[in-house]
Amino acid sequence: MILYNGKIYGTEMQQELLERLPGDLDEFLKTDTKLDTEDVITACDTLAARVKNGDFDDTVKPFLETFGVSKKQFDDLLYLFSRDGLQKKIQTELPDGEEIIDNFKRTRYPLGILLHIAAGNLDVLPAYSVTEGLLAGNINILKLPMGDSGLSVKLLSEMIDICPSLAPFIYVFDVPSTETESIMKLADLSDGIAVWGGDAAISAARHFAGVNTKIIAWGHKLSFAYCEPDCTDDELRELAKGICMSNQTLCSSCQGIFLDTDSDEEADSFGERFFEIFTEVNASSRPADYGMRAKNAINIYNERLEQHDTKSRIFSRDGISVIVRRDSGLELSYMYRSVWVKKLPMDKIHLLHKNKGHLQTASVLTADPEKKKKISRILANTGVVRITSPGNMSRTVPGEAHDGTYALREYSRIVETEFY
Amino acid sequence: MSSTGKLFRTRHIYDLSKTDDLFVSSVRETCNFCYRGCSDYKRILDEAGFSPDDINTMDDLADLPFIPTLYFKHHTLTSVPERKLFIKATSSGTSGTMSRIGFDLKSLLTGAHMVINVGRYHKLWSIKPTNYIIFGYQPTKTNKTAFSKTAYGFTFFAPAKSRTFALEMTGSGYKLNWDRVLKAMERCARSKFPMRTIGFPAYTYFLLKDMKAKGIRYKMPKGSMITMGGGWKQFYTEQPDKKEFYRLVKEVLDIDEDHIIEFFGAVEHPILYTDCRCHHFHVPAYGRVIIRDPDTMRPVENGKIGLVNLITPMVRSTPVVSVMTDDLGVLHDGPCSCGAKSPWLEIIGRVGVADIVTCAAGGEEYLKEGS
Repeated sequence: MILYNGKIYGTEMQQELLERLPGDLDEFLKTDTKLDTEDVITACDTLAARVKNGDFDDTVKPFLETFGVSKKQFDDLLYLFSRDGLQKKIQTELPDGEEIIDNFKRTRYPLGILLHIAAGNLDVLPAYSVTEGLLAGNINILKLPMGDSGLSVKLLSEMIDICPSLAPFIYVFDVPSTETESIMKLADLSDGIAVWGGDAAISAARHFAGVNTKIIAWGHKLSFAYCEPDCTDDELRELAKGICMSNQTLCSSCQGIFLDTDSDEEADSFGERFFEIFTEVNASSRPADYGMRAKNAINIYNERLEQHDTKSRIFSRDGISVIVRRDSGLELSYMYRSVWVKKLPMDKIHLLHKNKGHLQTASVLTADPEKKKKISRILANTGVVRITSPGNMSRTVPGEAHDGTYALREYSRIVETEFY
Repeated sequence: MSSTGKLFRTRHIYDLSKTDDLFVSSVRETCNFCYRGCSDYKRILDEAGFSPDDINTMDDLADLPFIPTLYFKHHTLTSVPERKLFIKATSSGTSGTMSRIGFDLKSLLTGAHMVINVGRYHKLWSIKPTNYIIFGYQPTKTNKTAFSKTAYGFTFFAPAKSRTFALEMTGSGYKLNWDRVLKAMERCARSKFPMRTIGFPAYTYFLLKDMKAKGIRYKMPKGSMITMGGGWKQFYTEQPDKKEFYRLVKEVLDIDEDHIIEFFGAVEHPILYTDCRCHHFHVPAYGRVIIRDPDTMRPVENGKIGLVNLITPMVRSTPVVSVMTDDLGVLHDGPCSCGAKSPWLEIIGRVGVADIVTCAAGGEEYLKEGS
């Protein structure tokens, strides 16, 4: 499905519309129409209220079920799209009004035309990305991810129905990633490309975008916990809860635990301690997906066959595992409730800098507030962008930064005009 | 003659009770051979406190340490000197990494008896010249995948009048040449000799769907056959209902359901599982299947889902005597209306998750892999 200036078309019209787009955008730019942020807020707020009322339960309920999202978590998510939530986001992310400095008027403008290359890993993500683009006042072209369910066009056209003024700011195409020529044409039209996805997607965007096109990369990240041996069982329990809830699939999910030690024995006994807590938390959580448990069962069995060589210490039961490894590198875990434990003394935390660009959230677990401050500072200097308590690694709040920056600022530019 | 030699000559291919004792002694024989010849295998058994001589009953097979196919992707295990490896085969490598399995001449000759017996039971042998269409690659010196070798091997069940390969080598790797296949189909339909297709079920299905969409219909000569092997792999989610597939074959090529045969096997377990007329993969005398609970790795009762552990004494050059696949499956109890007494294996799918939802760096790629 294609959404073009407020109208929905079948995919057979794609080529024709792609050819029409540059001319239509030129015509529209000529009109000097500014998008009223208030319209975007009204559209989102009305739509969020309808979702809350159950108008979209057919789509929403299976989504909540798949991801094990609680009613409370979903309400928190909807709040991000409410008038209140969006206003908070704008207040935090965008500088207020105009500023006059030394005879210069400094004004924020939208970047212009923004191409969104969305990932297929979350149905609502493409529409969310466009909404952010709209909030900053941009014209948005969305390239749907492969296997899109049709939800993006549905949500965005609902928003246009509520506020028709949004129509000329939204263009959704279903161009497959293999059609590089069409994507390059869209990229050429755009001032910026917001690209979501793994390293391969980001690298592809860098490859096809011209040097005069800004790339805003929302790449995949790795997150972890940093523990002092003195951390409490309660803290470890909170950490385990987050691991069971997200199954370690989010950028912000804990993949493993670094322990402030250089002793293998201490790492082993910590691994065992965490495994006991993890087992207890797992027992009271929704069971992990059967297929993933089976995949991990093979991985863990294989780990045991290689143990003579890796010297890892492996704890596993009921489909969950803790693997104490002998190196100190940050890596993806086997996910779905398999956690690594590695020794990383405080004076070596800075070595994580080699994971630059992939670092995201770290939770710090220690009973000593001074140490917590010190570790947090080192982690931040190393490149980590969110430092949280163990239970809040994946929380979302309006106006929070995204991967170390504010999306709305990335989608804007500052124009300085001299009075003369 | 060795136990294994005797086992692979049996004609009771779907009556396991007649070969249980022979199977146990054959596994002990092969296991002992690998234990003595492969230090890595010896270590694995020693660490588990298991000796090949502990294999005395069918129940003991469950205690024999298995090796996951994943392990073969990172370690080369052989129990004979390199020079004795007649064929070095690799898995099709859907996920990027491939298992390397070496076969010595003795193991291959053992397998040849199986092929003769299975072919005879399923009436695959024919003296009529046949036009083959292979949805695979032409075997070359550089292409070591077991699939290309097996597919080529299949063209000897009946004398080949012609062989058309759907995948052709181009400067930038293999490419699917639909036009060539369609032209070959047209030639086959006009020929008085039967046609046989061999290949991945997904390719066969996509081609037939494409032909149907283009309005192409052929009446293939009598005795024509659709044979498929290699599983659905990355096309798993597009797998049609079997009945729908059979209807499509009938509609487009006019070939009846009883002439559609699917094979199951793996380079790490090169046993020919052939579906019966009820389309069940009965366990042949040359192998045994244990379905294991992923949480405990203990065998589950028939009818329950679990990890598929395959056992065969066929190969002695590489310790694949008991391998754990990355498939989930169910072993169903016979009898089946086809007359075969042995239980049949249903592959449910790969381990892992079907819908990949992750933004953890590297997670997407990892979850897409077999394991």
